[in-house]
Amino acid sequence: MGLLRRTVARNGGRLWPGTLLICLFQACEAFVPVLIGYIIDQVIAGGDGLGLALWIGGLAGLILVQTSMYRLGARLLMLAIAHESHRLRAEVTERVLDPRGIRTDMRAGELLTVSSTDTDNTSYLLDYIPRVAGAVTATAVAAVTLLSIDVVLGLAVLVGTPVVLLVLQVGSPAITRRVAAQQEVAGEAAALATDLVSGLRPLRGIRAEDAALRRYREVSGRSLRAAVRAAGTQGGYLAASNALSALLACGIALLAGWFAVRGEITVGECIVVIGLAQVLIEPFGVLAIVPGLVAEARASADRVSAVLTAPTLVEPGPVDRVENVELSLSGVSYRSLDGLDLTVRPGEFVGVVVRGPEDGEALTALLAGRAAPDTGEVRLGGVRVDTLDLDLARATVLAEPHHTDLFTGTLADNLGPAADADLSRALAASAADQVVADHPDGLDQLVAERGTTLSGGQRQRIALARALLANPPVLVLHDPTTAVDAVTEHAIAHGVRDLRAGLSTVVVTSSPALLSVTDRVVMIDGGRVVAEGVHQELGASHESYRAAVLR
Amino acid sequence: MSALPVASPRATRSWLWARLRERPGEVGAALLVGLAGAGALVVPPYALGVLIDRVSGGGAIAPIAVVILVAAVVGGLASGLTAYLVGRLGGRVLAHAREATVARVLTLPATTIERTGKGDLLSRVSADVATVGKAASDVIPTVLSAFLLGVMSLAGMAALDWRLGLAGLVAVPLYVAALRWYLPKAAPGYAEQRAAVGERSRLMVESMQGVRTVHAYRREVEHLRRIDAASAHSRDISVHVFSYFTRFVTRVNIAEFGGIAAILVAGFLLARAGAVTVGEVSAAALLFLRLVGPVSMLLYTFDEVQSAVASLARLVGVIGLPGQPETASATARPVDAGLELADVRFSYDGGTPVLHGVSLRVEPGERVALVGSTGAGKSTVAAIAAGVLRGRELTGKVLLGGVPMADIPTEALRGQVAIVSQETHVFAGPLAADLRMARPDATDDDIAAALGAVGALEWVRALPDGFATVVGEGGHDLTSAQAQQLALARLVLLDPPVAILDEATAEAGSLGARALEESARAATEGRTTLVVAHRLTQAAGADRVVVLEHGRVVAEGTHADLVAEGGHYARLWQAWEADTAT
Repeated sequence: MGLLRRTVARNGGRLWPGTLLICLFQACEAFVPVLIGYIIDQVIAGGDGLGLALWIGGLAGLILVQTSMYRLGARLLMLAIAHESHRLRAEVTERVLDPRGIRTDMRAGELLTVSSTDTDNTSYLLDYIPRVAGAVTATAVAAVTLLSIDVVLGLAVLVGTPVVLLVLQVGSPAITRRVAAQQEVAGEAAALATDLVSGLRPLRGIRAEDAALRRYREVSGRSLRAAVRAAGTQGGYLAASNALSALLACGIALLAGWFAVRGEITVGECIVVIGLAQVLIEPFGVLAIVPGLVAEARASADRVSAVLTAPTLVEPGPVDRVENVELSLSGVSYRSLDGLDLTVRPGEFVGVVVRGPEDGEALTALLAGRAAPDTGEVRLGGVRVDTLDLDLARATVLAEPHHTDLFTGTLADNLGPAADADLSRALAASAADQVVADHPDGLDQLVAERGTTLSGGQRQRIALARALLANPPVLVLHDPTTAVDAVTEHAIAHGVRDLRAGLSTVVVTSSPALLSVTDRVVMIDGGRVVAEGVHQELGASHESYRAAVLR
Repeated sequence: MSALPVASPRATRSWLWARLRERPGEVGAALLVGLAGAGALVVPPYALGVLIDRVSGGGAIAPIAVVILVAAVVGGLASGLTAYLVGRLGGRVLAHAREATVARVLTLPATTIERTGKGDLLSRVSADVATVGKAASDVIPTVLSAFLLGVMSLAGMAALDWRLGLAGLVAVPLYVAALRWYLPKAAPGYAEQRAAVGERSRLMVESMQGVRTVHAYRREVEHLRRIDAASAHSRDISVHVFSYFTRFVTRVNIAEFGGIAAILVAGFLLARAGAVTVGEVSAAALLFLRLVGPVSMLLYTFDEVQSAVASLARLVGVIGLPGQPETASATARPVDAGLELADVRFSYDGGTPVLHGVSLRVEPGERVALVGSTGAGKSTVAAIAAGVLRGRELTGKVLLGGVPMADIPTEALRGQVAIVSQETHVFAGPLAADLRMARPDATDDDIAAALGAVGALEWVRALPDGFATVVGEGGHDLTSAQAQQLALARLVLLDPPVAILDEATAEAGSLGARALEESARAATEGRTTLVVAHRLTQAAGADRVVVLEHGRVVAEGTHADLVAEGGHYARLWQAWEADTAT
């Protein structure tokens, strides 16, 4: 609720003038049938040519004012909405990308929904306020006019219209349900089609085209039946609502006619009543649907708030320098890790072999500073990492995640700024030079969203080159060569070893090629260290190490 | 990457026309009921005019009252029925379009897909189908009713007096002018807006999904700046496009004024001349006022009709593509389970060759490993051997069981040779349905047996709902090793005499890799097998090894022979052994 109030407050400069203009627009619109009725009554029936010209001019003026009010008001409000949703979006994305991380159980997909749809929905409040105000204005103008013509007729219109709308509301849950059901099945058909196209190669590999098409036809058929059912419900509702509102309008018209016959009102007034009865349906309709829309905006605002106020994952400290880059974990328990002790001395190349993949995930999360241990300590240069300045910590220890993320842009953009010599050394060491050479545009080749234009092996090599190029004092790699062939892997192992000489490197891997170039290997099983030594020796002496590593 | 075709307006129209001609009854009923409904809706204002005249002239109101109320009810009911009939017709045409599109996509030549990429295909089978669907269910029924109401109202005015009808007609060119001013600006404007919003989402998605990397490389500011710029861009475009809309509204208002003013002036002149009564002028004015709402609705949703037509053209474009070429006289049947490639050359784009005359033979029941570095053409050879890649870009002979693969009808080829590709995909839905893609009539026992053969039965049984567990996108997450085991189980269910394996086992880590190798061996037991060896142990266990470099076979023989020969393969093996040496 606080967020919605802030949205209103910080857009007041556009919102209130816009609302005023929309109210004026609605008042003019309600006045159009009044004027037409008057023209027929006074001018046409009277046969006054000059009067006609004057009144038509008046009508033109009214419509001109009406349309100008709308144009100015709607534009002001659109600006308010567009700016507010942009501001909210900026706030949400800044929060999501906060270097300290945020503690939330929303996944990336949900966060995207919050930052795109929910920010939009929240800003739409700035549309609902003027709509309600405009509807109230139109109703008021019509009510005053109707009551001044005839109290009984006026009351008939002002009571009859909301009653009919209320009656029609009864049917709307059924429609909402049917339409939701239709959309769900339609979504299912779209999801299946997407899934089949995504799996097109495996599918054709076993020539399952017919089976796939049968499956799609089945879902498509269900979707069609749901659509027809929904059309039936909607058609039924439309029939009822059109018949009812036509009955209402005609009832009012007949009543007005009856009053005119008895001479209680004039013919022109009769037309005004009929015209206004038609005009009034819209504002009453707005008043009926807006509460639901506001509720939706509020639900969206709550989700946006939840992200904006989510607590941070790590709280950085004030220490902004360390004596050395010795990385040590002592008695660390976190997720699957259970009292882990591990030290990486400056300049050391350490291999870490995990029996369970969850241990590798937990360890890299800790080393990357994405998480704090439940018990135990992680220290860098003897200083607890949670007392370190975040910028220093990230600049010292770089952890390249196993799941490589590349971003839209050129290869060079992804690798980051670098001197030519450093670049070619890093590319060569990671065997990414081949990825550059294989494409006519070289380093300028465009990388599509999330690197999908590259193969898994190419993505891994580019990510590795990026990590090597950053040249951090401590580099943490997690299964960096799983999608690379054996020959290339062998070359990469030696390339990384040479390039990282004198710097600390930790590789979480089960690849013998990488492990064979490390200074020391630590094996973790059940969350703690079970073996430690040189790769070749462990391979010869340790049965479970051999099973985990050698193939 | 070349784009998929979009059908011309003419081709789209004739496709749509053909669909409508298949359903003359439905089309006729929808039009008839629509016209009747619109006619009934026109009656009340018309009758009210008479009523007004009776007010001044005297006469019975009761019969008119009855006519008005009956017409109101009939008009309302008919409009509902029209919406239903049109919605049903649209739904059926849409179902036809989407099924034909998916059917064509599934049978497109592999080379077409390689060239166009999947992105465009995906947007056609999902986004375009959705756009046409929305139009079919919401927009078209409204637009059609508004249109019919407009026609009938003008007819009603003309029935009062033809000159009144003519006056009402004044609004039509003004409406058309407004639309012709707006549409050429709106269509590219909305397209630009969609593109801007798409760009914004793309940047947000990749930054949010890649937040670890963004943090690790301290690129938060750069990413926020890019998102902010994209969001500001989409904001500015939205505001700009909306300003066109507000100007369009003004033009529509002017058209409305033109119509009503013309009716009032004509009415005034005709009434003064005694040609029409005041009631008739009132009726014409009421008819026009009745029309304003629905017609502006029609105009404001016209761009949705336009984008639905554009989407339909994209669907018809795919439907019209040629399918996998099939030799008309394909009646041959393989004699045995042997596989042979003779002097095979291939290029994906018709220009740069990937294979330069590859020849290899796999004897019935033999297991041959294909070795080579990345980019050597291993996966291309595998896809050609499986008959997945074919067409004009392929020259040389591909023989299955001694007969050219092109001479074997597609239906017969199914069940003869299959490939487990490098790309693993778990089809979304129950796990059993995923496996039944290979054999739709497989029983639960067959499925259990296939899973057992590849060593997957244990973990599948341990899933929350066993065989019925929903897996794939949006379902239970499987590891990549489990996904590969499912692919192998599909192969076992299909049971082809010739199997090609191009699966990469590395993701599973070494423990998983070993288990997967055992699964793969079990799945191909007794079959003629061509294995693309991503790990050298796969090659060492094969009957024979073929070494491929730069699209050419450079060596072949048994593992022992090749190691002894001391060539390229021997060097690979030595590197491997050095790493794993104990």
